Amino acid sequence: MKRIIARLDIKLNKLIKGIHLEGWRLLGDPSPFFLDYYKQGIDELIYIDAVASLYSRSSMKELVAATTRDVFVPLTVGGGIRTLEDAYEMLRSGADKIAVNTGAVKNPSLIDEIATKFGSQCMVLSVQAKRRRQGEWKVCYDSAREQTERDVVDWITEAVDRGAGEILLTSIDQDGTAKGFDLDLARSVFETVDVPVVLSGGFGEADDFVKASKFADGIAIARQLHFKKVTVDEIKRQARMNGIKVRLDES
Amino acid sequence: MEKVAKQVLHGLPKQVIFCKKCVISNQRPSTQREFKKQNSDIDTVGFGDDGICDTCRWFEYKNTKIDWNQREKELMDLCNRFRRSDGRFDVIVPASGGKDSIYVAYMLKHTYNMNPLTVTWAPHMYTNVGWRNLNHMIDSGLDNLKVTPNGKVHRMLTKLAFENLVNPFQPFIIGQKNVAPRAALQYDVPLIMYGENQAEAHNRFEENLSPLMDIKHFSVKSSEDDLYFGGIHVSELGKYGIQDKEMFYYKPLLEDQIRSRNVEVHYFSYYKNWSPQENYYYAKENTGFESNPDGRSEGTYSKFASLDDRIDGQHYYTMFIKFGQGRAMNDANRDIRDGFISREEAVDLVNKYDGEFPKMYFQEVLEYMGISEARYWEVIDKARSPHLWEKSGDSWRLKYPTC
Repeated sequence: MKRIIARLDIKLNKLIKGIHLEGWRLLGDPSPFFLDYYKQGIDELIYIDAVASLYSRSSMKELVAATTRDVFVPLTVGGGIRTLEDAYEMLRSGADKIAVNTGAVKNPSLIDEIATKFGSQCMVLSVQAKRRRQGEWKVCYDSAREQTERDVVDWITEAVDRGAGEILLTSIDQDGTAKGFDLDLARSVFETVDVPVVLSGGFGEADDFVKASKFADGIAIARQLHFKKVTVDEIKRQARMNGIKVRLDES
Repeated sequence: MEKVAKQVLHGLPKQVIFCKKCVISNQRPSTQREFKKQNSDIDTVGFGDDGICDTCRWFEYKNTKIDWNQREKELMDLCNRFRRSDGRFDVIVPASGGKDSIYVAYMLKHTYNMNPLTVTWAPHMYTNVGWRNLNHMIDSGLDNLKVTPNGKVHRMLTKLAFENLVNPFQPFIIGQKNVAPRAALQYDVPLIMYGENQAEAHNRFEENLSPLMDIKHFSVKSSEDDLYFGGIHVSELGKYGIQDKEMFYYKPLLEDQIRSRNVEVHYFSYYKNWSPQENYYYAKENTGFESNPDGRSEGTYSKFASLDDRIDGQHYYTMFIKFGQGRAMNDANRDIRDGFISREEAVDLVNKYDGEFPKMYFQEVLEYMGISEARYWEVIDKARSPHLWEKSGDSWRLKYPTC
């Protein structure tokens, strides 16, 4: 079963969208968006607070609580998770999984702590990958403002050893372009680790899901859903036509 | 009086005030004629009695009082007046290949059916991404004329501008203002279209009300006018190994040349609601424009502005030293006025990133100017005005952090 996930990048309780994680457009109150995606039959939601690392503060908890009142699909929340307490508070607000990027890059043992305390199933490693040359990606953090020399595949391997139970893999180069996923990146990671990989950055049309499903367990879509260029149903129909198993709408 | 003079450098206001709407302070310089500067003294951005800077006042006006449909008609009329159908260029667009110049040139060509010639004044030292972006612009279907100054002269002028004015960027600014009018005369194209009116960022309110750039920024009345480059009178440059004939691209034009050929210099930001972020989107959609592949630029949080010159970081850093306002503040002010961030966010961003030392190209910049690191810090520390800076232990800190 392959998953279709709506990704909402959040800034101070507003939905935003950029290109290459930059030049964020304010799209407004996130609630009509997540309600719509839920009605459309989305499998999961991912919220990333894009500025939590930047400002060292977050107002995500209220949004998470508001979402889980009306929406009953798994919700992953990330952005600004630095400590076990941060993770705990987000889970208590209603998140099902915690995505960690900056916090884990700076302090890898945070992965062990979260996985030990709450279980690997809720420890999602969020990775922002910047392509350097053919077959080589480096780890970035803080919404791709900061780059490291760490190799993406190495880092993910280490994180899975430490207990990460899922990978949210974002291609900075493809993000916001609607030009398709970075399938080379997906393949490199997918063939290395045996935890679920969710691919993010570049979704353009339903067929991109079909292509990605070979190298990912799920895809995250932002722009094309926010701008109503595609519906969940359209993607699922295309998937079924290509023999890819997806969750059927209960109705 | 002597005491006051020692307390405050660069002709800055003695008391530091931050705008209540954005985070600009009254120490921010406004645009002046660079080739008249004999020292680092500057004029500063205007502030009202209500503690609001002229720039924010301008944005409030811009967001409520301008009829953009009317401006669109004015732009159509302007293009109709200058458009040619005989194959010659009909508009000069000063262009670096950055997001803003791509927006202006590409839109004039495709939306307004003009035939633009983009004109580039080369940076001191191209970054890799800056060079690629220039080529992305050309590859998107735009003609380009690039003028690259004599490297020996440009280095010396950069050194002089750094040592005397603490502004290593001055030779670029001077040449950039002249290069489009020169091309206009040479190619007989009487319309020049700049992007953003600099007044939108840091000049007097009134300067925004006209679509035209004052020709005083690139011309003088007489060839006998006193000119200064890097703070040195033009007649003295021989002492630094620069011959008069090597100053062609730096010397301003003569007013009569401009007027007799009816050259008009317009700002696109008069006709269009200018937004760097929207320009980024436009450049991404229409050309291969790349944001900074290294992540955020040093000294700020942004990734898409001012990318093409290895000396850019020093341009902003020297501003931070002289005026207490660096690159992050520059970006944050713009983002506040465009409604992308709140003032509180801006304060956080500025305190986090402003004044971060641009180390990536530091050694190259020193080599370029031919000065030692010790000399560099001597110039920098001397430029710290005592009313802005204090030393605690071995490190300097601003007396008035952004708040």
